Amino acid sequence: MEQHYIQICDVEKYYGHGNAAAKAVNRVSFHVDKGEFVGVMGASGSGKTTLLNMLSTIDSVTAGHIYYENTDITELSENKLSEFRKENLGFVFQEYNLLDTLTIQENILLALTLHGLGKQEVLERCQEMLALLGIEDIRDKFPYQVSGGQKQRCACARALVNRPKLLLADEPTGALDSRSAQTLLETFTDMNQKLNATIFMVTHDAFSASYCGRILFLKDGQIFHELRRGGRSRREFLNEILDVLSLTGGELSDAR
Amino acid sequence: MLGKLALRNVMRSARDYLVYFLTMTVVAAIMFAFHSLIFSEEIMQLYKTALLLAVLIGLASFFVVLIVAWLINYMVRFILEKRSREFGIYLLIGMKKKEISRLYMRESLVLGAAAFAGGIALGMLLQQILLAILYSCIQMEYHIRLEWSGWCLFTTAACYGGGYLLALFRCRRRFRKMNIHALMNSERRNEEIKESHEETKRLLLPVALLFLLLFGLMLFFYKSWDSGTIIGFLLGLVLTIYLFYTGVAAWIIDYVRKKGNGIFKGQNLFLLRQFASKVKTLRFTLGTLTTLFVLALLGCAIAMMFNDFQNQILAAKWPFDVQIYSDDVEDDFREELDVIGQDSEIRDSLSYLIYQNGTNPVNTWLYTHLKCFGDTYKNSDGTPDQAKIQSGDSWAYYRYDTYIALSDYNRLREMNGLDGVNLEEGRYLLHLKERVWNEAGDFTPELEIKSPQGPLACAGICTEPLSQDGHNGADYMLVISDRTAQDMIPYYKMLAANLTEKAPEDLQARLDGIQAQDTYTDFGSHRVTDHMASGSDQIVVFVYKNMVRDNLIPEVKFLLSSIIFALVYIGLVFVCVALTVLSVQQLSDSAKYRFRYQVLHQIGLGHREISKVILKQLAGFYLCPILFAALISGTVAVYVGRKFNFYTGTRTAAAGYFGLSFLLFSSIYLIYFVVTYVGFQRNVLTKT
Repeated sequence: MEQHYIQICDVEKYYGHGNAAAKAVNRVSFHVDKGEFVGVMGASGSGKTTLLNMLSTIDSVTAGHIYYENTDITELSENKLSEFRKENLGFVFQEYNLLDTLTIQENILLALTLHGLGKQEVLERCQEMLALLGIEDIRDKFPYQVSGGQKQRCACARALVNRPKLLLADEPTGALDSRSAQTLLETFTDMNQKLNATIFMVTHDAFSASYCGRILFLKDGQIFHELRRGGRSRREFLNEILDVLSLTGGELSDAR
Repeated sequence: MLGKLALRNVMRSARDYLVYFLTMTVVAAIMFAFHSLIFSEEIMQLYKTALLLAVLIGLASFFVVLIVAWLINYMVRFILEKRSREFGIYLLIGMKKKEISRLYMRESLVLGAAAFAGGIALGMLLQQILLAILYSCIQMEYHIRLEWSGWCLFTTAACYGGGYLLALFRCRRRFRKMNIHALMNSERRNEEIKESHEETKRLLLPVALLFLLLFGLMLFFYKSWDSGTIIGFLLGLVLTIYLFYTGVAAWIIDYVRKKGNGIFKGQNLFLLRQFASKVKTLRFTLGTLTTLFVLALLGCAIAMMFNDFQNQILAAKWPFDVQIYSDDVEDDFREELDVIGQDSEIRDSLSYLIYQNGTNPVNTWLYTHLKCFGDTYKNSDGTPDQAKIQSGDSWAYYRYDTYIALSDYNRLREMNGLDGVNLEEGRYLLHLKERVWNEAGDFTPELEIKSPQGPLACAGICTEPLSQDGHNGADYMLVISDRTAQDMIPYYKMLAANLTEKAPEDLQARLDGIQAQDTYTDFGSHRVTDHMASGSDQIVVFVYKNMVRDNLIPEVKFLLSSIIFALVYIGLVFVCVALTVLSVQQLSDSAKYRFRYQVLHQIGLGHREISKVILKQLAGFYLCPILFAALISGTVAVYVGRKFNFYTGTRTAAAGYFGLSFLLFSSIYLIYFVVTYVGFQRNVLTKT
């Protein structure tokens, strides 16, 4: 078997037991290579967030395996999983998930101190991230004092500051206005291209998805289509995505 | 429909605010149990001093009602804030403000009534425990029986209900002022953290600590306390407590902002920020809680002092079964002996004279040297103020020094189970209270004791307990040879008797009944005479003419128990109230915390680490007020304990009183802490 950066093999997830069991994810297999920007699209209830949760070790699989390089995370114990999460994964969520008692800068610092780095290194890395994401000016503000876009960029900084193997984003633009969403997605693209960060993003928004390099379409827990951007412009890619969506019955009609 | 809604809300509140509900139940139980002591006819008929118990418990109840009203008010407002969004929705769908406020009142009242009903049931159990303790204190047998009085229930209900009405009335005004927007947003408002002038506010911490140090020094070294100083001292102390919390929060915030080294270790940054924001928003509540803890701990420590006194001193105060004082040096005590002999058999008795010789060197020395007299009996140049010492106004000592003949003294020692002493002619022996001996040491070289035959030399000092609150001298007696005594002037006469069995319960009353009512002053239903001195003991002194040990000890114990019970009553309620506020604060925030811990989980903390963080966070929040309160009340308790030992002669180390009460409160504290920790962890960890 060809060695991929992340390999998802026949993953299933059921909720409930016996007859009442509901299949959220049904025998899904795919892989992600290093430096890829992969998007997952699907209507509500298609299983995309469940898939993300399993990839991010927050939820367990019912069957199947998930390999990060050579590590099968479905075999790890709870403690090892936390350690794995800390070392390898970064998260960006729709609701930002910043700690409200910490300032923007401190939110980023905390992620670093949990890694047991020295003061000097922590401060340098944090500064680097703040500058990269253009949130230096608001470093001493509390989350409630800044805009949604700024919060989300802070969340990105926190997710990326430990140089994770994979950045997981769950509807990151869901709570943002279109301008902030665009800025954030450009940031993602930058991260992907300049830092060679591997990004896995779940979205139901075609505009957001058009920034990805590859898109998996999920329906009823199964992958039914895959699109690659290749050398096309973002605009062309967006149109193609919209075409796919219209074929599926326009369930994702809120694409901008 | 509204009724159904109210009922369902009550069920939910009772679950969400279980600690509050349980505390209200416990408070109602404690109130009921203590009130039932006041309304127990049997107890009230035991002693005339039982009125003191009623007064003290009533006084305690007054403070308890105030504090319970505060708790209810706090909780009603707190729940209101937490549920403001829900009330906003009621308003949106067209309910009237009046209806909502009525709904909320109804809920609060149902919750209160349920807690009260539970409290009365629990209170009956607690009542049995209290009565059993009280009866064992006064050495009477207690048979389990329910003390049930309508008045007791009424008083408890009135106190409890009063607290409720007071709180709810204020809440109604709040409702009237609110609008939908405010209701919908009030939840969000709490979360905003405003940081301004933290660097300046930071200075409040050292200022508060400095003030505390000053207050401590003042306590131990300042001499001229008057009521103005005391009020100023207390106000200053409370203010300092509030300043302290403002300072602590600002100090931590400033530390975090300046990126102190500590924040780069593990989860410290998170913990410090959590703690600071909590202390910042709750500084007034924490200040109030600390004050409550201080009062509770002090109350309990003082109760311990009296309990200790009860155990150590009472037996020593009365070494004989019966002692009777008489001004009449010719008194043969026949009537008294007849009364005693009616129902009991006298094993041993002695009637003896106490002498004087018109001089007062020992009195003078004690009046001018013992700390408790200060400079009252000194002239401005430091010499003894004889006019004052010999005026009839001084209460501590007789006008002249008191002497006893050796043979009488040895008989008293023998009756008391002590070996006799030898004394040569021309010598004297000083029999001194141990407490005075501890303070004064051997001061006989400074004394010039003269008998009609000439000067006497000191042969030694004895300090065994010999009833020296005015009976066998006040504080001291000079023992002289029988021959020397013959040349002295009889001063007053004493009878000491030991019985073969326990004295009958009414012996004291019958002895007191011998003299006509107008011959003696009546004090606490016992005879006292103006001629008797009391010695320099303070706080608890008995200078009754007639003293029957087996009758008096239970009575004194009852008296002391009244003080102890009232203090423990206040202490218990204060601690429960304070802990409830702490606990509810933490638990109700768990929704917010759940989110925070979820974030921590996502950025890589395992369940075990999160449990540890929760423990650290709760411990910090719980320990802060109790440790701070312990520091303050500990200092005050050591000071008061030293004074108490000094005035009463108890020998427990002053810190011991505090240590015991701290231990007691810590265990209550631990219960609340564990309940909160378990609940908190369950709330937070279920969905991470």
